[in-house]
Amino acid sequence: MPQRSVVEAPNPFREGIRTKESLEPCVMVIFGATGDLTHRKLLPALYNLALEHPLPAGFSVVAFARRPYDDETFRKQALESINEYSRQKPVNPQVWESFASGIRYLQSDFHDPAGYEKLSSLLNKLDQERGTNGNRLFYLSTPPSQYPEIIQHLGAAGLNRNRKGWTRIIIEKPFGHDLPSARELNRQVGKVFKEEQIYRIDHYLGKETVQNILVFRLANGIFEPIWNRRYVDSVQITVAENLGIEGRSSYYEEAGAIRDMVQNHMLQLLTLVTMEPPIAFDANAVRDEKVKVLHALQHLSGRDVLTNTVRAQYGPGWVGGHEVPGYLQEPGVSPNSTTETYVALKTFIDNWRWADVPFYLRTGKHLPKRVSEVAIQFKQAPLMLFKKSDAQGQVEPNVLTLRIQPDEGISLEFGAKVPGTDMQIRSVNMDFFYGSSFVREQPEAYERLLLDTMHGDSTLFTRRDEVEAAWAFVQGILDEWKNEPRDTIATYESGTWGPQAADEFIWRDGRRWRRP
Amino acid sequence: MATDTSPDQGKRLPWAGKQVRPEHIEDELTFLWHLAADNMRISQNMNVRTSVLNLVICALDIASAYKASALLRDLPNTHIARVTLVILDTDNKSPSGVTTWVTLRSFPIISDNMRHHFEQVTVLLRGAAVQSATTIIQPLLKPDLPIYLWWVSDLPSNTSIFQRLITISNRAIVDSSEFSLPEERMHTLSSVLQASPNCALSDLNWSRIIPWRELVAQFFDIGEYRPYMVNIEKIEIEHAVPSSKHQAGGEKAASNPIRALLLAAWLKTRLGWQLSEENPQHDHESRAGRYFWHMTTRVPTSALVEALPAGNSLGEVGSETRGVIDIMIGPRVQAELPPGNICLIRLTSAFDGKKAVFTIDRGDDDEHVITSVDVPDNPYLERVVNVAATHKETELLNDELEIMGHDHLYEQTLHEVSDLLT
Repeated sequence: MPQRSVVEAPNPFREGIRTKESLEPCVMVIFGATGDLTHRKLLPALYNLALEHPLPAGFSVVAFARRPYDDETFRKQALESINEYSRQKPVNPQVWESFASGIRYLQSDFHDPAGYEKLSSLLNKLDQERGTNGNRLFYLSTPPSQYPEIIQHLGAAGLNRNRKGWTRIIIEKPFGHDLPSARELNRQVGKVFKEEQIYRIDHYLGKETVQNILVFRLANGIFEPIWNRRYVDSVQITVAENLGIEGRSSYYEEAGAIRDMVQNHMLQLLTLVTMEPPIAFDANAVRDEKVKVLHALQHLSGRDVLTNTVRAQYGPGWVGGHEVPGYLQEPGVSPNSTTETYVALKTFIDNWRWADVPFYLRTGKHLPKRVSEVAIQFKQAPLMLFKKSDAQGQVEPNVLTLRIQPDEGISLEFGAKVPGTDMQIRSVNMDFFYGSSFVREQPEAYERLLLDTMHGDSTLFTRRDEVEAAWAFVQGILDEWKNEPRDTIATYESGTWGPQAADEFIWRDGRRWRRP
Repeated sequence: MATDTSPDQGKRLPWAGKQVRPEHIEDELTFLWHLAADNMRISQNMNVRTSVLNLVICALDIASAYKASALLRDLPNTHIARVTLVILDTDNKSPSGVTTWVTLRSFPIISDNMRHHFEQVTVLLRGAAVQSATTIIQPLLKPDLPIYLWWVSDLPSNTSIFQRLITISNRAIVDSSEFSLPEERMHTLSSVLQASPNCALSDLNWSRIIPWRELVAQFFDIGEYRPYMVNIEKIEIEHAVPSSKHQAGGEKAASNPIRALLLAAWLKTRLGWQLSEENPQHDHESRAGRYFWHMTTRVPTSALVEALPAGNSLGEVGSETRGVIDIMIGPRVQAELPPGNICLIRLTSAFDGKKAVFTIDRGDDDEHVITSVDVPDNPYLERVVNVAATHKETELLNDELEIMGHDHLYEQTLHEVSDLLT
């Protein structure tokens, strides 16, 4: 074996090259490989990584699923998916051939121990044939109810670790259904895999603009001094979708907006916007600070839930020029459903930086458009010199908006004098658009996250304590809602920005929702 | 020196905009900005004016200037404040003169409703005015913004104008694939850089080999292969040349091996090699694009040494007798490839009595390479890699315009090429 020091020394050829170090050959095992996520996201992401060549020679994929396919059938379907969903079209035939040569299909039920024995043999064979050297990445792309079974079988087959290389596992959200189930899932995974082997994926964190929140805050000296209670009046986080439940009633009836969006994506955004600067930009330092924010969130319980949250369901209406049914009329939805498709809430962070600054979160389906943004509203200037002039009533507070999607970018709204002899003030926007400032096409979130997992970088993944802290915040709301009668759920017309109750909720504080 | 600056002098260049006297350039641009603002009000478009850099383009003839001007269409995201396109009419018979044109150019951003504008000033210099190019364009530069000089086409034998322009620039960009006398021009470039250390220098040809450098680096990202890196014995590089029936005659060299030379020099410096003093017979056939050097290890690769624990050395890893190590550059007739394109890098190494070969070979077309690793006791690994993204001149230029400081690695490599060719 070569000396350790030589192996670990920096590669002198890397100097001046922007791309990350390449990976050791590895094999990615996808459980539930015939499912939607694999075909829409994972396979196109892997193909793009092969095309832009961070994937090493020898990289292999084992598709583990129940359907009676063989290698060729699965490759054919994979090619169709990549043709449809890859951001790089048309498919490059030579790169595809090279990539496809490493794809294998293994048919098995998830509960069948023999399937895991076959998997073990196949992985050993790939180690020999393709030099994957025991480096294994398991991806659970199945319904969450099957996670415990698969994890248990992986452990029983001895696939949770090996002597030669690394073993990691990616778990898709949702991580549990509530706080007890999240704890139980963590316990079960933790029995088989060590925490450093576990990568809980929230694809929001793979988005360039989400990552840019930290860069924007911590790499620009002009913003950090004003990023606190002294200067910030309030913060609004909006994740709006124009789509409805799109036939996923069985999932959505169990989840609702608070589990589907607030517990994960929105609290992730909140932590990135409000966390203290970490001591280093590494996985645990960043996640330590995020967890502190979650612990500092003012938990809602009892009657506070009713005064600080609004939940609602969409009614019939028009979205994007199409007439759409109400939630209760959707196929598969119970006519007495209490599942919310819209939630708005106010919370505070009880720490030195953010004391008394309200954070307003809202998310919903069948809203007028798809938009995700964080808007930081600054306090007004201390003295309004222009109040006796025509400017009265026209000076809006400064708002810094971080747009996550679409039109990723940053806007700063400020007042400017309208040219002329009188004193008129108007709000104008200073915009930064990612798309117009950087030539490079942004990688898909899954590309970044898969690559990070293979590199062993868990910065953009959720840690066990983080998941549980987020659930702990949401649990108080869920418990109170459960006890409330159905008529406390408001209804909003599809295609509007939510129920009247949500407007009244924020008006009480003398503020109003932004119109993104 | 009396110089004719009357607007009716010189050529007609419709693509350059409105011809104006040099002293009216700023007024005319202000007027054009007002017109643009009016258009915005009428059509409800949004205009974005950005101020990030001055781009000075220097061309030796109108055809090259037109081509460069047209290429700017594909640079929508570089946020140029002003382009000063200088055409040097070096024909000694031309009467001295300065003719100038101005225009505003715009790119759609996101949709056609939002447009990004920049100013373009075209300056045609004739006769004696050519020698004063630097003085003439200085007042035309936007204040406080960095100046990027893009020298299109070949470097002239007399580099005095280029050198003077460099003194006012923050970064100069050349394309050595245009060099008619590659070896001579690389020496010149190295000398110019030494004489003007304050200006960063870059070469689009250096950017073209980034994917090849990256692929070489990828081999040795794998810890298991790292000892083979320290024990490389032979490097072979091939570059494309046209078949003899396609070769142009005249003064221009039959091949342009600069990319291969840059790669060889880069590998040499990264591996800490020096020219062998015991075997000094180096072999150059410049016209054929064939080169051969014997090397020895000067020091263990510096980065590796730094990372080693005290008292350890690479000698233990590379302790086998290190004889002469060879770098070979040779031509490969590949008519469908532009001359100078890299066709092959092969690194041959021996460690622990085992021979390993790391190869990057051009595929059947211009867009793919095949990388392979042949190491004893390991599976033979091969993959196809797409390198098509490295072809577009505007993308290379855009990358260069994003960099502010010196590319020390390139500058070191350039001097190394010059030394190797000496």
